[in-house]
Amino acid sequence: MPTKAHGPRLKAYNRMTPSHTRRIFLQKGLTLVSAAVTVPMFIDSTVWALADPLDTKRTQQASGKDGKILVVVQMSGGNDGLNTVVPYADDAYYRARPGIGQAKDKLHKLNNYIGLHPNLAPLKAMYDDGMASVIQGVGYPNPNRSHFRSMDIWHTAQPEKETATSGWLGRYFDNTCEGQDPQEGVCIGGQAPLALKGEKTQPLSFERPENFRYNGPDKERYHDLNSSKGMDAQAQQNVKSGVATSKRPAIITPGSQLEFLTRTAMDAQVSSDKINKILNEYQTKNSYPNNEYGNGLRTIAAMIKGEMPTRVYYVSLGGFDTHANQGGRHDNLMRDFAQGVDAFWKDIKEQKNEQRVVMMCFSEFGRRVEQNASGGTDHGAAAPMFLFGPAIAKKAGIVGQHPSLTQLDNGDLKFAIDFRTVYASILENWLETPSKPILGQQFKTMPIFRT
Amino acid sequence: MAKLYPQLEPFSATSSDEWDRVKVSHLLSRAAWGGTPEQIDHFLEIGPRAAVDELLDFPDGGADLIAQNDVPDLSQIEGYPKSFADRRKLFEGKSAEERQLVQQRLNQANQQALRAIVIWWMKQMVGGQYPLHEKLVFFWHGHFTTSARDERSAWLMWQQNETLRTHAAGNFGKFVKAISRDPAMLDYLNNQQNRKAHPNENYARELMELFTLGIGNYTENDIKEVARAFTGWAHDGEGFIYRKFDHDDDAKTVFGKQGNFDGDDVLDIILQQRACATYIASRLWRFFVSDELDPPIVTGLGDLLRDNNYELRPMIRTLLASKAFYAPTNVGVQIKSPVQLVISTVRSLGVAVPDYGRLYGSLDQMGQIPLMPPNVKGWPGGRLWINTSTLFVRQNTALWLAGGEPIVSGRKLMDRANRNQKNRPNVAVESEGTPSEIVDAWIERLVQRPIDPSRREILIGSIGKKPTEESVRAMINLILSMPEYQLC
Repeated sequence: MPTKAHGPRLKAYNRMTPSHTRRIFLQKGLTLVSAAVTVPMFIDSTVWALADPLDTKRTQQASGKDGKILVVVQMSGGNDGLNTVVPYADDAYYRARPGIGQAKDKLHKLNNYIGLHPNLAPLKAMYDDGMASVIQGVGYPNPNRSHFRSMDIWHTAQPEKETATSGWLGRYFDNTCEGQDPQEGVCIGGQAPLALKGEKTQPLSFERPENFRYNGPDKERYHDLNSSKGMDAQAQQNVKSGVATSKRPAIITPGSQLEFLTRTAMDAQVSSDKINKILNEYQTKNSYPNNEYGNGLRTIAAMIKGEMPTRVYYVSLGGFDTHANQGGRHDNLMRDFAQGVDAFWKDIKEQKNEQRVVMMCFSEFGRRVEQNASGGTDHGAAAPMFLFGPAIAKKAGIVGQHPSLTQLDNGDLKFAIDFRTVYASILENWLETPSKPILGQQFKTMPIFRT
Repeated sequence: MAKLYPQLEPFSATSSDEWDRVKVSHLLSRAAWGGTPEQIDHFLEIGPRAAVDELLDFPDGGADLIAQNDVPDLSQIEGYPKSFADRRKLFEGKSAEERQLVQQRLNQANQQALRAIVIWWMKQMVGGQYPLHEKLVFFWHGHFTTSARDERSAWLMWQQNETLRTHAAGNFGKFVKAISRDPAMLDYLNNQQNRKAHPNENYARELMELFTLGIGNYTENDIKEVARAFTGWAHDGEGFIYRKFDHDDDAKTVFGKQGNFDGDDVLDIILQQRACATYIASRLWRFFVSDELDPPIVTGLGDLLRDNNYELRPMIRTLLASKAFYAPTNVGVQIKSPVQLVISTVRSLGVAVPDYGRLYGSLDQMGQIPLMPPNVKGWPGGRLWINTSTLFVRQNTALWLAGGEPIVSGRKLMDRANRNQKNRPNVAVESEGTPSEIVDAWIERLVQRPIDPSRREILIGSIGKKPTEESVRAMINLILSMPEYQLC
């Protein structure tokens, strides 16, 4: 558990003297603190007034400046791994895919056996810079070919549990000490993914920053009604002292639902102002794909630059379920995928934040080795994963062997690397937390990261 | 019959503790989907007992009993097969690849069919004749959870909803036997794969942990044995079938009893456990009253259930009429579920839902779409509904329903300028009176209990000395955005 860096703040939580209140509020407010925080606490209106959310100088002193960050890119629908990382030196590939095989001369060759899809030029450049890792043949035992079930397995990291209720990243947050940053992950997209849901913590998710704010009129009164300003003197006294001295109805008492809601509403406003300000001010000359995925990555880059203390960001690119005529569609997906990754990392480097960030890209399964009669591919099993960032170890450019194209499991590639070993490596060697409590068993880590 | 625990005795008004609007609103919030001003007046007049009786007076049956001409017509959905035989025909003589394409199209049609069912259901919640019936169906949906998330057949989900509807206030024993034969359930919890040669324990485990007894009231061995009793209970895509050759006919030992049990036998044994009645009582208490369990109350309700041979109505009647139900500590302390939030907003404002498709999208962002619970535990509820992002979605959705701008969704903002003007609440009547009278009337209508005096002052200040229709509407928006509005 990363207690070291957070020790002093944890102490501050326990010692709620007035002089600490303001600082803690700043940290809490900027942490997008979740409903899960049960520390009985309230901030009086003076503190509220001091905590000007638009004061960037102050926010820069807030936590999270040096924290490590994981960005997860989910390729939904089952990405065709064989047309992404192409085993061009194996004739079996071209025999299995007479119509949709990628021509050898157009690939970005990584070695004398595999090459990247023609539209992945930016990823090749990152690979050459030692900023990319291709992990080959990733999967899990008894592969499930249902999108839903397989995605759940990747999210929960508990293939044996039919009814898992939390995700691996959610449990990562569950396992950090209470009161510590970070409290939860942030997903840019409609619905929060199971991966980020904990037993004790719920992730934040918003599709667009416009949704992450109050859209109604009269913002000033809205603010007053949603803060301690709109509270009876008696109520303010109650929550400050932590003792209910009035039994009158409607008076807000410590620990009550109304106190909890008011506190969350205050946090929400601070976070919302901060995020919307960060995004409005964010400028980049790097061009992201004009879709939810591209906007999401841009938002994440802006939030990292804005020094949000969030540790885990999540974004999805959909449309990989290419059963028919996959050629053009998959080409476009590859182009979008690469353009997003490229723009994001250019931004992150310009911000000089690259040392803090690792990006992990996965899909719920790969696809059949043989193309089908409709010029597409059906649901398969093992597939490559990508990791990006300068933290990638020198020798980790290509990890594992490419799975055999002839020794198949029901027509599908056999996995050699369990995805949970990748998770374990990220948890232990990047997020610096023991993986066993999160994954339920000890997986051997791989030397993917620089030491 | 044993004497009733004092707090379970029926509430009756006294001069110091009257049957007032706060209590009526509380009953209508918890046992229905929020009250309109007319309903509140009506219940105020007839008194607490008659009010509960009226709420509980609904037919125990499927949708055609309540809305003959208005059940979702899945046959209108393009590509959705009219019967299982039709569905099978689509696959006949097709190659593996073609079959996959057929499956893909079926999945799309199925998604549409599910949506049609959800929208039909929400319409029943908004305007149906029997709000407590709908509320109980929704409760049981979260109890006997089955999720359509993994492309479960819309037809089977509809059938299950009918089962929930039929037994919602009936006999719990019959209910759990019906649900154990329900195709969507058999599918969801893998009893379809529960065979003598390879027992699958998923249904047996959830049956005891979540549906009947609660954790700690059975052993791992009980799970194994109960699973064996359910071997061969399956469905053929349309209805329940008993696969004789998959059923384990040997003796089993469940809760110390030995015999050649089948599913019904073990359910009878489970129902004999006192823990079962107490557990069901605790679930209903949490849903209708509070997350705080008062052990004697829950035990009392459980005993009532057992004494009535698991008939649900008497127990629900006692619960909703009890002193405990109206205790001040239980009023205004529940965080509205997203469904409760949107339905009660529509009802208490007296407006129509402008666009069910968008409402579906908002519910998604708030974390609760009917038929799509996240997992077998149902929706966790309580404070987990609220975080800094869902709170904004909740506030903005209420504003939209009151005539404001729609929530921005993934699609292009086609109708940003197209505000929801026609759906605005009618404020003409309430505009009469002094500013504080107007504010109090709307607080009573929307929050339904007193609010903090300083917050009330802010609202009074907002409408000005000479309130206009516009300033009153703006004040209503403020009420909808207050922390108090998240509670019922």
